[in-house]
Amino acid sequence: MTNQQFPEQLDAALKRTMQAQPADPAAVDRVLARLGGPLPRQKIPLWRLPAVLLDWQFAPAWPRVAALAACAVLGFYVGIAGLDRRFDHLDGRFTAAANADLGSIVFEPETLTGARP
Amino acid sequence: MDDSDEALMARVARGDEAAYRNLSRRHVPAMLGLARRILGNAADAEDAVQEAMLRVWTHAPRWQPLAAFRTWLTRIVVNLCLDRKRRAPWVELEAAGEIVDPAPDAAEQAEQSERDRLVAKATAELPARQRAAIVLTYGDGMSNAQVAEILDTTVSAVETLLVRAKQNLRRALDSTGEEDG
Repeated sequence: MTNQQFPEQLDAALKRTMQAQPADPAAVDRVLARLGGPLPRQKIPLWRLPAVLLDWQFAPAWPRVAALAACAVLGFYVGIAGLDRRFDHLDGRFTAAANADLGSIVFEPETLTGARP
Repeated sequence: MDDSDEALMARVARGDEAAYRNLSRRHVPAMLGLARRILGNAADAEDAVQEAMLRVWTHAPRWQPLAAFRTWLTRIVVNLCLDRKRRAPWVELEAAGEIVDPAPDAAEQAEQSERDRLVAKATAELPARQRAAIVLTYGDGMSNAQVAEILDTTVSAVETLLVRAKQNLRRALDSTGEEDG
Protein backbone atom coordinates (compact mmCIF):
# COMPACT_ATOMS: atom_id res chain seq x y z
CA MET A 1 0.00 0.00 0.00
CA THR A 2 1.61 3.29 -1.12
CA ASN A 3 1.15 6.68 0.56
CA GLN A 4 -1.23 7.86 -2.16
CA GLN A 5 -3.34 4.73 -2.02
CA PHE A 6 -3.52 4.66 1.75
CA PRO A 7 -6.43 7.09 2.41
CA GLU A 8 -8.74 5.43 -0.13
CA GLN A 9 -7.84 1.94 0.95
CA LEU A 10 -8.27 2.85 4.61
CA ASP A 11 -11.70 4.33 3.87
CA ALA A 12 -12.72 1.23 1.95
CA ALA A 13 -11.45 -1.07 4.71
CA LEU A 14 -13.26 0.96 7.37
CA LYS A 15 -16.52 0.77 5.41
CA ARG A 16 -16.18 -3.01 5.10
CA THR A 17 -15.17 -3.70 8.70
CA MET A 18 -17.55 -1.23 10.37
CA GLN A 19 -20.62 -1.96 8.27
CA ALA A 20 -23.72 -2.91 10.21
CA GLN A 21 -24.21 -6.66 10.33
CA PRO A 22 -27.50 -8.36 11.17
CA ALA A 23 -27.80 -8.72 14.93
CA ASP A 24 -27.74 -12.16 16.49
CA PRO A 25 -31.44 -13.17 16.85
CA ALA A 26 -30.68 -14.95 20.14
CA ALA A 27 -29.14 -11.76 21.56
CA VAL A 28 -32.14 -9.73 20.40
CA ASP A 29 -34.49 -12.23 22.06
CA ARG A 30 -32.50 -12.11 25.29
CA VAL A 31 -32.67 -8.31 25.46
CA LEU A 32 -36.38 -8.24 24.60
CA ALA A 33 -37.07 -10.93 27.22
CA ARG A 34 -35.24 -8.90 29.86
CA LEU A 35 -37.27 -5.85 28.89
CA GLY A 36 -40.45 -7.91 29.07
CA GLY A 37 -40.53 -7.98 32.88
CA PRO A 38 -42.13 -5.37 35.11
CA LEU A 39 -40.94 -1.94 34.04
CA PRO A 40 -39.61 0.69 36.49
CA ARG A 41 -41.57 3.79 37.36
CA GLN A 42 -41.44 6.58 34.81
CA LYS A 43 -39.95 9.96 35.78
CA ILE A 44 -42.61 12.62 35.47
CA PRO A 45 -41.23 16.14 34.92
CA LEU A 46 -42.30 18.85 37.38
CA TRP A 47 -43.94 20.94 34.66
CA ARG A 48 -46.37 18.08 34.02
CA LEU A 49 -47.43 17.66 37.67
CA PRO A 50 -50.38 20.12 37.54
CA ALA A 51 -51.76 18.24 34.55
CA VAL A 52 -51.38 14.95 36.39
CA LEU A 53 -53.15 16.31 39.48
CA LEU A 54 -55.99 17.74 37.42
CA ASP A 55 -56.41 14.55 35.41
CA TRP A 56 -59.56 12.84 36.74
CA GLN A 57 -59.13 9.87 34.43
CA PHE A 58 -56.63 8.15 36.76
CA ALA A 59 -58.53 4.88 36.88
CA PRO A 60 -56.03 2.81 38.93
CA ALA A 61 -56.12 5.37 41.78
CA TRP A 62 -59.88 5.93 42.17
CA PRO A 63 -60.44 3.29 44.93
CA ARG A 64 -57.89 5.11 47.06
CA VAL A 65 -59.59 8.43 46.44
CA ALA A 66 -62.94 6.83 47.35
CA ALA A 67 -61.46 5.44 50.60
CA LEU A 68 -60.07 8.87 51.48
CA ALA A 69 -63.45 10.51 50.84
CA ALA A 70 -65.21 7.87 52.99
CA CYS A 71 -62.77 8.56 55.86
CA ALA A 72 -63.42 12.29 55.57
CA VAL A 73 -67.21 11.79 55.72
CA LEU A 74 -66.89 9.44 58.71
CA GLY A 75 -64.68 11.96 60.54
CA PHE A 76 -67.19 14.74 59.87
CA TYR A 77 -70.10 12.75 61.35
CA VAL A 78 -68.06 11.65 64.39
CA GLY A 79 -67.30 15.33 65.06
CA ILE A 80 -70.90 16.48 64.55
CA ALA A 81 -72.39 13.73 66.75
CA GLY A 82 -69.86 14.45 69.55
CA LEU A 83 -68.74 10.85 69.78
CA ASP A 84 -65.22 12.01 70.58
CA ARG A 85 -66.20 14.20 73.66
CA ARG A 86 -65.85 11.48 76.29
CA PHE A 87 -62.20 10.97 75.25
CA ASP A 88 -61.58 14.68 75.93
CA HIS A 89 -62.86 14.36 79.56
CA LEU A 90 -60.60 11.41 80.34
CA ASP A 91 -57.47 13.56 80.36
CA GLY A 92 -59.04 16.58 82.10
CA ARG A 93 -56.96 16.22 85.31
CA PHE A 94 -53.71 16.17 83.41
CA THR A 95 -54.77 19.28 81.56
CA ALA A 96 -55.40 21.15 84.85
CA ALA A 97 -52.04 20.09 86.31
CA ALA A 98 -50.29 21.12 83.16
CA ASN A 99 -51.93 24.57 83.28
CA ALA A 100 -50.80 25.12 86.93
CA ASP A 101 -47.25 24.10 86.12
CA LEU A 102 -47.16 26.42 83.23
CA GLY A 103 -47.90 29.44 85.46
CA SER A 104 -45.23 28.53 88.01
CA ILE A 105 -42.67 28.10 85.32
CA VAL A 106 -43.43 31.45 83.78
CA PHE A 107 -43.70 33.60 86.96
CA GLU A 108 -41.17 31.95 89.32
CA PRO A 109 -38.09 34.09 90.24
CA GLU A 110 -34.90 33.28 88.46
CA THR A 111 -32.86 30.84 90.62
CA LEU A 112 -29.42 32.50 90.60
CA THR A 113 -30.18 36.22 90.27
CA GLY A 114 -33.63 36.35 91.93
CA ALA A 115 -34.94 38.45 89.09
CA ARG A 116 -38.68 38.26 88.42
CA PRO A 117 -40.03 38.12 84.94
CA MET B 1 -53.21 4.22 13.69
CA ASP B 2 -49.96 6.20 13.32
CA ASP B 3 -47.14 3.87 14.27
CA SER B 4 -44.20 6.19 13.61
CA ASP B 5 -41.49 6.28 16.27
CA GLU B 6 -42.66 9.68 17.45
CA ALA B 7 -46.30 8.57 17.75
CA LEU B 8 -45.24 5.49 19.70
CA MET B 9 -43.08 7.63 21.98
CA ALA B 10 -46.04 9.88 22.70
CA ARG B 11 -47.96 6.79 23.84
CA VAL B 12 -44.96 5.52 25.84
CA ALA B 13 -44.86 8.92 27.59
CA ARG B 14 -48.41 8.20 28.80
CA GLY B 15 -47.27 4.82 30.18
CA ASP B 16 -48.39 2.61 27.28
CA GLU B 17 -46.34 -0.60 27.70
CA ALA B 18 -47.55 -2.14 24.42
CA ALA B 19 -46.20 0.86 22.48
CA TYR B 20 -42.93 0.52 24.38
CA ARG B 21 -42.59 -3.17 23.46
CA ASN B 22 -43.34 -2.32 19.84
CA LEU B 23 -40.64 0.38 19.86
CA SER B 24 -38.16 -2.03 21.48
CA ARG B 25 -38.76 -4.74 18.87
CA ARG B 26 -38.18 -2.17 16.15
CA HIS B 27 -34.91 -0.68 17.43
CA VAL B 28 -33.14 -3.26 19.61
CA PRO B 29 -31.56 -5.21 16.69
CA ALA B 30 -29.90 -2.14 15.13
CA MET B 31 -28.84 -0.76 18.52
CA LEU B 32 -27.28 -4.11 19.44
CA GLY B 33 -25.22 -4.00 16.24
CA LEU B 34 -24.11 -0.45 16.96
CA ALA B 35 -23.20 -1.16 20.60
CA ARG B 36 -21.34 -4.29 19.62
CA ARG B 37 -19.23 -2.41 17.08
CA ILE B 38 -18.36 0.29 19.61
CA LEU B 39 -17.76 -2.03 22.56
CA GLY B 40 -16.36 -5.00 20.64
CA ASN B 41 -18.12 -7.33 23.04
CA ALA B 42 -21.53 -8.97 22.64
CA ALA B 43 -22.37 -9.35 26.35
CA ASP B 44 -21.56 -5.72 27.15
CA ALA B 45 -23.53 -4.63 24.09
CA GLU B 46 -26.62 -6.46 25.36
CA ASP B 47 -26.30 -4.80 28.77
CA ALA B 48 -25.83 -1.36 27.23
CA VAL B 49 -28.85 -1.71 24.93
CA GLN B 50 -31.03 -3.04 27.76
CA GLU B 51 -30.04 -0.08 29.93
CA ALA B 52 -30.67 2.33 27.05
CA MET B 53 -34.15 0.94 26.42
CA LEU B 54 -34.99 1.16 30.13
CA ARG B 55 -33.91 4.80 30.06
CA VAL B 56 -36.22 5.34 27.11
CA TRP B 57 -39.09 4.06 29.28
CA THR B 58 -38.24 6.01 32.43
CA HIS B 59 -37.44 9.28 30.61
CA ALA B 60 -40.27 9.04 28.07
CA PRO B 61 -42.48 11.63 29.84
CA ARG B 62 -39.61 14.13 29.58
CA TRP B 63 -38.93 13.40 25.91
CA GLN B 64 -39.75 16.20 23.48
CA PRO B 65 -39.77 15.59 19.73
CA LEU B 66 -37.05 18.16 18.98
CA ALA B 67 -34.94 15.53 17.19
CA ALA B 68 -35.80 12.19 15.62
CA PHE B 69 -36.37 9.40 18.12
CA ARG B 70 -33.71 7.30 16.40
CA THR B 71 -31.10 10.04 16.90
CA TRP B 72 -32.05 10.37 20.59
CA LEU B 73 -31.84 6.61 21.13
CA THR B 74 -28.52 6.37 19.29
CA ARG B 75 -27.16 9.12 21.53
CA ILE B 76 -28.21 7.22 24.66
CA VAL B 77 -26.63 3.99 23.39
CA VAL B 78 -23.39 5.70 22.34
CA ASN B 79 -23.11 7.53 25.68
CA LEU B 80 -23.66 4.32 27.62
CA CYS B 81 -21.05 2.55 25.48
CA LEU B 82 -18.55 5.37 26.07
CA ASP B 83 -19.22 5.16 29.83
CA ARG B 84 -18.55 1.45 29.74
CA LYS B 85 -15.37 1.93 27.77
CA ARG B 86 -14.14 4.41 30.38
CA ARG B 87 -14.68 1.84 33.11
CA ALA B 88 -13.42 -1.28 31.34
CA PRO B 89 -10.36 -2.07 29.22
CA TRP B 90 -10.67 -2.63 25.47
CA VAL B 91 -11.74 -6.02 24.26
CA GLU B 92 -10.83 -6.96 20.74
CA LEU B 93 -13.66 -7.11 18.23
CA GLU B 94 -14.74 -10.74 18.12
CA ALA B 95 -15.78 -10.76 14.49
CA ALA B 96 -12.76 -8.95 13.20
CA GLY B 97 -11.36 -12.08 11.62
CA GLU B 98 -12.44 -13.14 8.20
CA ILE B 99 -14.47 -10.74 6.09
CA VAL B 100 -15.30 -12.21 2.72
CA ASP B 101 -15.65 -9.80 -0.16
CA PRO B 102 -16.25 -10.84 -3.78
CA ALA B 103 -12.98 -10.15 -5.61
CA PRO B 104 -11.86 -11.55 -8.93
CA ASP B 105 -8.34 -12.34 -7.82
CA ALA B 106 -7.71 -14.76 -4.96
CA ALA B 107 -4.40 -13.14 -3.98
CA GLU B 108 -5.96 -9.71 -3.95
CA GLN B 109 -8.87 -11.04 -1.91
CA ALA B 110 -6.49 -12.56 0.63
CA GLU B 111 -4.57 -9.30 0.85
CA GLN B 112 -7.80 -7.36 1.37
CA SER B 113 -8.94 -9.76 4.11
CA GLU B 114 -5.64 -9.38 5.89
CA ARG B 115 -5.84 -5.58 5.57
CA ASP B 116 -9.40 -5.59 6.95
CA ARG B 117 -8.34 -7.73 9.89
CA LEU B 118 -5.52 -5.33 10.73
CA VAL B 119 -7.80 -2.29 10.35
CA ALA B 120 -10.43 -3.87 12.62
CA LYS B 121 -7.75 -4.69 15.19
CA ALA B 122 -6.33 -1.17 15.07
CA THR B 123 -9.83 0.35 15.29
CA ALA B 124 -10.51 -1.68 18.43
CA GLU B 125 -7.56 0.05 20.08
CA LEU B 126 -8.66 3.61 19.26
CA PRO B 127 -9.85 5.93 22.07
CA ALA B 128 -13.57 5.54 22.75
CA ARG B 129 -14.85 8.74 21.13
CA GLN B 130 -12.68 8.30 18.03
CA ARG B 131 -13.97 4.78 17.64
CA ALA B 132 -17.58 5.89 18.10
CA ALA B 133 -17.11 8.56 15.42
CA ILE B 134 -15.63 5.97 13.04
CA VAL B 135 -18.47 3.48 13.68
CA LEU B 136 -21.20 6.09 13.18
CA THR B 137 -19.56 7.57 10.06
CA TYR B 138 -18.43 4.42 8.27
CA GLY B 139 -20.75 1.83 9.76
CA ASP B 140 -24.04 3.71 9.84
CA GLY B 141 -23.19 6.17 7.04
CA MET B 142 -24.08 9.22 9.13
CA SER B 143 -23.07 12.74 8.17
CA ASN B 144 -20.69 14.72 10.37
CA ALA B 145 -23.63 16.85 11.53
CA GLN B 146 -25.57 13.77 12.68
CA VAL B 147 -22.50 12.37 14.45
CA ALA B 148 -21.96 15.74 16.12
CA GLU B 149 -25.55 15.71 17.40
CA ILE B 150 -25.18 12.20 18.79
CA LEU B 151 -21.81 12.86 20.42
CA ASP B 152 -23.09 16.21 21.68
CA THR B 153 -20.29 18.18 20.06
CA THR B 154 -19.61 20.37 17.02
CA VAL B 155 -19.09 19.35 13.40
CA SER B 156 -15.50 20.59 13.47
CA ALA B 157 -14.83 18.52 16.59
CA VAL B 158 -16.15 15.44 14.76
CA GLU B 159 -13.86 16.21 11.83
CA THR B 160 -10.94 16.47 14.24
CA LEU B 161 -11.93 13.15 15.84
CA LEU B 162 -11.99 11.45 12.43
CA VAL B 163 -8.65 12.93 11.36
CA ARG B 164 -7.01 11.87 14.62
CA ALA B 165 -8.57 8.42 14.37
CA LYS B 166 -7.15 7.96 10.88
CA GLN B 167 -3.73 9.21 12.01
CA ASN B 168 -3.80 6.72 14.88
CA LEU B 169 -4.89 3.95 12.52
CA ARG B 170 -2.09 4.77 10.12
CA ARG B 171 0.44 4.75 12.94
CA ALA B 172 -0.88 1.42 14.23
CA LEU B 173 -0.91 -0.14 10.77
CA ASP B 174 2.61 1.12 10.02
CA SER B 175 3.93 -0.35 13.25
CA THR B 176 2.16 -3.65 12.50
CA GLY B 177 3.73 -3.69 9.03
CA GLU B 178 7.17 -3.08 10.52
CA GLU B 179 6.67 -5.90 13.03
CA ASP B 180 5.56 -8.26 10.25
CA GLY B 181 8.32 -7.12 7.83
